[in-house]
Amino acid sequence: MVHKTNLFFIVTLVLVWLVGACAPVATPTPAAQETSLADLGAIKTYLLGKITNLKISSTDLKSVSDAYYKLAQAADFDYAALWANHPAEVASALLDAKTAWMVASPLYEQIEGIVAGVPGLSEYDIILDASASGEDDPENAVPFDLTLPDGRVLSKPGNLFGVLETALWGTDPDYLIAAVEADLDADGALEFGEVLPDANVLKGAADLMDEYVSKLETSAQAWAPTESDAFTALVVMVPTMSEYFESWKNSRFVAGEASTQRDFVAISRLSDIQDILSSLQVVYAGVKPLIINLDPDKAAQIESDLDGLKAYVEGVYRQEQGGKQFTAEEADLLGAEAQNRATAIAGQISQAAAALNIAIEE
Amino acid sequence: MRKLLKSLTLLTLILAAIHPNVRAEALPPAQVAETIRSSLFAAQMSLQSNDPNAEIELDHAEAAYRGSFQSMIAAVNPAADERIHEGFARMRAALAKTSPRKFAAARAQVWTAILNGGYSIVELSIHNNDVATAQDWLGVREFRTATRFSRPNADATLALQRLAAQSITTDDALQFLRADLFDTYQARLYEALRDLESADQNGFTIRRAELAALAAGYFDILAPAYAEQRGAQALDEVHRLFSDLQTATISEATIQPALDSVYAALENFRAAPLNPSEQSRRAGQLLRYLNLVPVEYERGVSNGQVTKQLEIQEAVTFHEAAQAAFDDLRDLLDAQNPQNTDQAAQLFETLGVQLADASTDTRVSAPEEVRETTTRLIALLETTMPDEWKKGSTAGDFDVIESMLDQMMTAVRNGEYDLAESARLEAYAVLESGPEARLSVLAPQSKIVIEDLFWNGQGENKGLAFLIQQHAHLSEIKASRTALEAELKNVEEILSVQSAPLAIVGNAGIIVFREGLEAVVILASLMGSMKAAESRKYRRPMWWGTGLALLATIITWLLARGILVSLARYGEKLEAVVSLIAIAVLLLITNWFFHKTYWTGWIASFQSKKKRLLAGEAGLILGLVSLGFTSVYREGLETVLFLQALVLESGTGLVLAGVAIGFLATVLVGIVTFKVQTRLPYMDMLIITGILIGGVLLVMVGKTIHVLQVVGWMPTTPITGMDMPYWVGMWFGTYPTWQGLLLQLAAAGFVIGSYYLAENMKMRRRANSVPTSLAQEGKATGQ
Repeated sequence: MVHKTNLFFIVTLVLVWLVGACAPVATPTPAAQETSLADLGAIKTYLLGKITNLKISSTDLKSVSDAYYKLAQAADFDYAALWANHPAEVASALLDAKTAWMVASPLYEQIEGIVAGVPGLSEYDIILDASASGEDDPENAVPFDLTLPDGRVLSKPGNLFGVLETALWGTDPDYLIAAVEADLDADGALEFGEVLPDANVLKGAADLMDEYVSKLETSAQAWAPTESDAFTALVVMVPTMSEYFESWKNSRFVAGEASTQRDFVAISRLSDIQDILSSLQVVYAGVKPLIINLDPDKAAQIESDLDGLKAYVEGVYRQEQGGKQFTAEEADLLGAEAQNRATAIAGQISQAAAALNIAIEE
Repeated sequence: MRKLLKSLTLLTLILAAIHPNVRAEALPPAQVAETIRSSLFAAQMSLQSNDPNAEIELDHAEAAYRGSFQSMIAAVNPAADERIHEGFARMRAALAKTSPRKFAAARAQVWTAILNGGYSIVELSIHNNDVATAQDWLGVREFRTATRFSRPNADATLALQRLAAQSITTDDALQFLRADLFDTYQARLYEALRDLESADQNGFTIRRAELAALAAGYFDILAPAYAEQRGAQALDEVHRLFSDLQTATISEATIQPALDSVYAALENFRAAPLNPSEQSRRAGQLLRYLNLVPVEYERGVSNGQVTKQLEIQEAVTFHEAAQAAFDDLRDLLDAQNPQNTDQAAQLFETLGVQLADASTDTRVSAPEEVRETTTRLIALLETTMPDEWKKGSTAGDFDVIESMLDQMMTAVRNGEYDLAESARLEAYAVLESGPEARLSVLAPQSKIVIEDLFWNGQGENKGLAFLIQQHAHLSEIKASRTALEAELKNVEEILSVQSAPLAIVGNAGIIVFREGLEAVVILASLMGSMKAAESRKYRRPMWWGTGLALLATIITWLLARGILVSLARYGEKLEAVVSLIAIAVLLLITNWFFHKTYWTGWIASFQSKKKRLLAGEAGLILGLVSLGFTSVYREGLETVLFLQALVLESGTGLVLAGVAIGFLATVLVGIVTFKVQTRLPYMDMLIITGILIGGVLLVMVGKTIHVLQVVGWMPTTPITGMDMPYWVGMWFGTYPTWQGLLLQLAAAGFVIGSYYLAENMKMRRRANSVPTSLAQEGKATGQ
């Protein structure tokens, strides 16, 4: 009897405690936990597919940068001797490096809309493609220092695609062997981008980029996309058109030789914009069923506006590739139009997200 | 008024006539508007390239305008329709003369007139409670230019949704609509003016003409608000200035004088009215910022001298922020009580002079003077403000926290880590004295994350207190601040939902019950165990301690409203100290419990040892008073801080009702524990009491270690890979850190060790006194 009373008493107290412990679980159930109409899996599949290809390119770039580094090392980093004695091997390595960069960069742009827009992945965008150097923008600089094979440390040198582009095309004097003139394609003329880069910078940056692409791959595999991620990516990335058009306006593709911009020299920014918009179209396709369920007209309007924006950029790009030299004022006007369209799209997506009670991350 | 009603009825009839056809046949208005906009842009680009398609595109745009779209705009806003027609005519003329500049200006005129017409239709539809038409036409709008870091708001969309669900009134929906769209178009107006300056500097003549026309068009949408605030004459003058500006851009004249005049005419003009939740938010900011002014000032002044100029600067900043909030609310306050509002404006000025004088070292007012001015000002504002503003706005609190964290970042950038720490503490104090009560109930999992980020967390992003103390690099502090901000945003959203009265009562009750449970279990267990006549007297000192703690809690409650911010600043540290004392006392008592009550009750003859015991009697009584006091007050202090936020939100009545319920529940648990224990046989009762006290000790140790880690008085080593649900920490004091778990284990070891030590001593004692003890044993157990 005594033991029964004990047991009853202990059980009662434990129950009181546990009931209390459970009481405050009044947190509202997030909408995302409900069965979703959105096809988020397709977004992840697209992302992982592109990253797989990106990894192949970054490994290629690493490998050819390493080949160039070994040649320079064998010449004891005497670049004049290197170029004089091994012009064919050097040219081959550097042209391959440029090709690998030209393949890798659009592949990244094709996922930038997702990587930069998803809070859990956006750090990779800062490192790989977006952030400035500590010298240009101390507040928003990349979060890493680049240690070179010779032990030098480049403090917050800027995003890795940018470092590699400026090294390979010679637009940053610090990464360039200015004393050596290298006619890489052996056509008898020294054209833009025909330079010998500092092999330490090239190898250091290519190695680190390959490392970060691997990390991005791991993070992307672990990423469980949510409706909030998808809407955030759209609302964050769509309205960045003016930034891209601004860098296009100041690039060699518009300003020509007068341009002082060091990056975006190899591929027109207009091409990047189209790639980014392609990835956002994939994201939109994923969440479109949700918006159709809310308002079919709105869903159709957003899709048509997004397609329209991409077609608009394609049109400008075609003209540029066709040889049209835009004036600065035309570039400004074209940028303003792109921004207006993008702002309208982001606005409509925000309204849909609010109506669906889906949070847009800050 | 009758005229207005007549017109509204007429328009309603027109809308009713057009409406079914519009919705059945035509494209959605937003799609029509976009077709016109993009066709006109294409026409301009063609014109600039001498492409003959320009005319085709213009025809396309004009054709899209005609039909039901045009009929609606013409019916509701004939002036806008007129401007659209005029714009098309001007574009045709510009096309004929191949003048891209004039074409661009006319294009902007048409587009902004369409926006104006769209706005009018939405407004009228809301008036007529025709939500479907309002929703259709709301798509004919622009948004604030979004960036990577700012998101377009959805206030108007949500207002229409709520109106459709009849959860807000027509008037509220109109207020939200105006606030959202006027704010958007005013932002676009300023953006157009800034871009105009830039285009002018770059010599972009076509862009200049377009941007000046855009600015004029945006202003047209805001014109009724301007006329309402400044009168028809002032409006005519601004229209003239915009016209001058447009003429200057078309004629390639210098634009700066006209632009300066436009800027001057727009100074202090705010088109968007504050919606009700924004009013509460601004009111919350106003009072919070004002409260912080004397706090900062007192820190910066000593013996009539400015000792810390930066603290004075902070006081100035808070004053300016409060002044800005006051300016936004001034018209509304004026409507409540013009006399008080004028007096408040004068006090603002006095306070501004006091701070400016100290800032320039002209005259250093005593801190008491600044406090007095501020107190009078706050009292005046509180008397004038409508009741709903005074309930406190969670959003306002988060704004203040954000601005404090901004100050912290600025201080870190300047290498002023002391100041950064001060700003961090202020931010935390606002959280602690504001939203934390609701946070601990509605989002307890976030509370732990936020505490870690504010203090000494050792996760992926380290705590700000830890980083500031280490003088960490800006980027590290920035990363933690960003993580904190994301978490704060998350909880702001959860807390933005207004609590129902029942929820407030429930929340208050749960807080009191949770905080009181430990104390009551300790007290009831110990007192229940003192049932033997000789030990009953020990109950009294515990009651004294309990009574004192309740008194201290009530005093804290009464004082808390006045000193809330400064108290909250030290809240965690105060809790840490009181908790440590409570543990020390509990350890002593546990030791005493096993070695005295247990052993003397069973074996020793109380009478024969009376002399020895009396020698330690005073210390024992003091210990019991302290136990009663610390057990209750450590919970009382936290409860008061939590409940204050609920009081600010919902008033004292509801909260006190919750307190009463929570208190009753805790007392009931106490009585049950007490009663059941007194009915148990002595030996069982002692075992149960021992288990309960041991359990409470474990929880207390765990929680205290957590608080010590939060305030940085104990290092934190997280257990990698171990994740616990938040309620395990909240109710059992167990957190996944090595220090916490090991010390809880040590506490368990202490309790069990004490028991076995007592058992061992009992056995030895029995062995030594078998002949005499048997009779006493029978007496003591009552068997």
